[in-house]
Amino acid sequence: MKSSSSKKKLIGYFGFPRRDILRDVRDRVGFDVPLVDLDVDHGAPDSGVLPVTTCRIITNIIDNAMNFRGRLAVVVAAVGEGKCDRGRHVSFLLGNMGFEVVESRFPPEEFENRELVFSTGHAPLADKIERIMETVVDPSPQRNMPGPCEPTHGFWGVPPHDFRVLELFPPTTHVYGWTRCVEAGRPGDMELECRVGEGVPTVFFTQSFCAKQDIARYLAEKYGGLAIDCHREINDSILAKVEAFIRLS
Amino acid sequence: MLLADCGSTWAKILDTATGSLEIIQTRELILRDTVFDVATGHSGRSRCREFKNELIALAEGGLSLVDDADFALVDVGGRDIKFVRFNGRKVEKLDWNLACGSTTGATVELLGKYYGIDFTTLKQADEWVNVTCGVFGMERVLEQVSLGNPPGRSVAMFIHGMVRNVYNFVGRPERLYLSGGFCENPCFVDTFRRYSQVEPLGRTVPLEGLKVISASDGKTV
Repeated sequence: MKSSSSKKKLIGYFGFPRRDILRDVRDRVGFDVPLVDLDVDHGAPDSGVLPVTTCRIITNIIDNAMNFRGRLAVVVAAVGEGKCDRGRHVSFLLGNMGFEVVESRFPPEEFENRELVFSTGHAPLADKIERIMETVVDPSPQRNMPGPCEPTHGFWGVPPHDFRVLELFPPTTHVYGWTRCVEAGRPGDMELECRVGEGVPTVFFTQSFCAKQDIARYLAEKYGGLAIDCHREINDSILAKVEAFIRLS
Repeated sequence: MLLADCGSTWAKILDTATGSLEIIQTRELILRDTVFDVATGHSGRSRCREFKNELIALAEGGLSLVDDADFALVDVGGRDIKFVRFNGRKVEKLDWNLACGSTTGATVELLGKYYGIDFTTLKQADEWVNVTCGVFGMERVLEQVSLGNPPGRSVAMFIHGMVRNVYNFVGRPERLYLSGGFCENPCFVDTFRRYSQVEPLGRTVPLEGLKVISASDGKTV
């Protein structure tokens, strides 16, 4: 989804909404209407709606919604523990700005236990994370599934706003944190979110101003990992820090 | 072979053929068209044939200069703070403070020049000001001066606040090795010794690292 120039209708979503809610919305709006993940950077201009000290992912949601305004038939908003308080807040804001919003809460009794093919597979890290996020809409098995590998490194966190940081990791990097929870079908499962490989050198990534920084710093200290946070785009110094950690650990 | 550690405010240049070391302000470096064989540091990337990661250069330099199995090494620069901790000569933890708390080193130089302070004779201060970052810290110094504190004492309080930041950043070790220009600032080193046993290694630790890395790459150093 690179351009907003097309006038086709869209279904927006953010976080990991329940699949039955997504399915109901698609049934109502039309299965041929494309889905757009509003968490992701689609090149939307700065809307200026949120404070500058807002996590970049949350800012993306609002900026994308404003940029796609007029095309978004509906926004499916994950507002439960699987997202964060600010997910609930932007859902409220979007509703008050005239968007149709369908809220989704993912209760623990509906958690799944899907096989962790991408989180533990041998493939470029960015590809694995992209394909994990695709399972939000369609979890059915995909082609060219990676084979499993022993982890040499770990990446903990949500999909970053700027994927360049992922290019530094070897294909033997295992995915932990919220992204692993998505593949397992268990968003908001704190126990799984905090589980990492003992002895696996792990980078704990968060966007700056994200509440997950609290957990990232704690886990990095506990497991001897590297906690990094980044606002907006990754800069050379953050890349250098990750490069050094991967090389020296 | 020309090796260089080009920081934001100072550049350290080593000619391995002659062993000569040149330390110049980075603003002078900008006026030169020298291309180094291997370089590290914020200002080195566009001035070299081969660029090496700053933290890796620091870590390799520390390992070549220190024989201890377990030790902590911190480099306090003009723009940032880099930290590496070794356990059994393996990297156990590393960090690089860039955003919050940054440019405090350069701020000390600016304040020193503005108030004409000789850091070789500046006495350490018992009190400190909170140095959230260079700009906030400078505001605190100006406030102290306006309250009637002598500029030297106010700057020493800034240095004390900066020392506390560095000490907390590196995890409050009982002993650590110090790299960078602050090794030559007795007020900084004496203040740090209130909190930890500090062993200054000088300004050339990353250059030592570049020598090790270049040799391991098969270059004649």
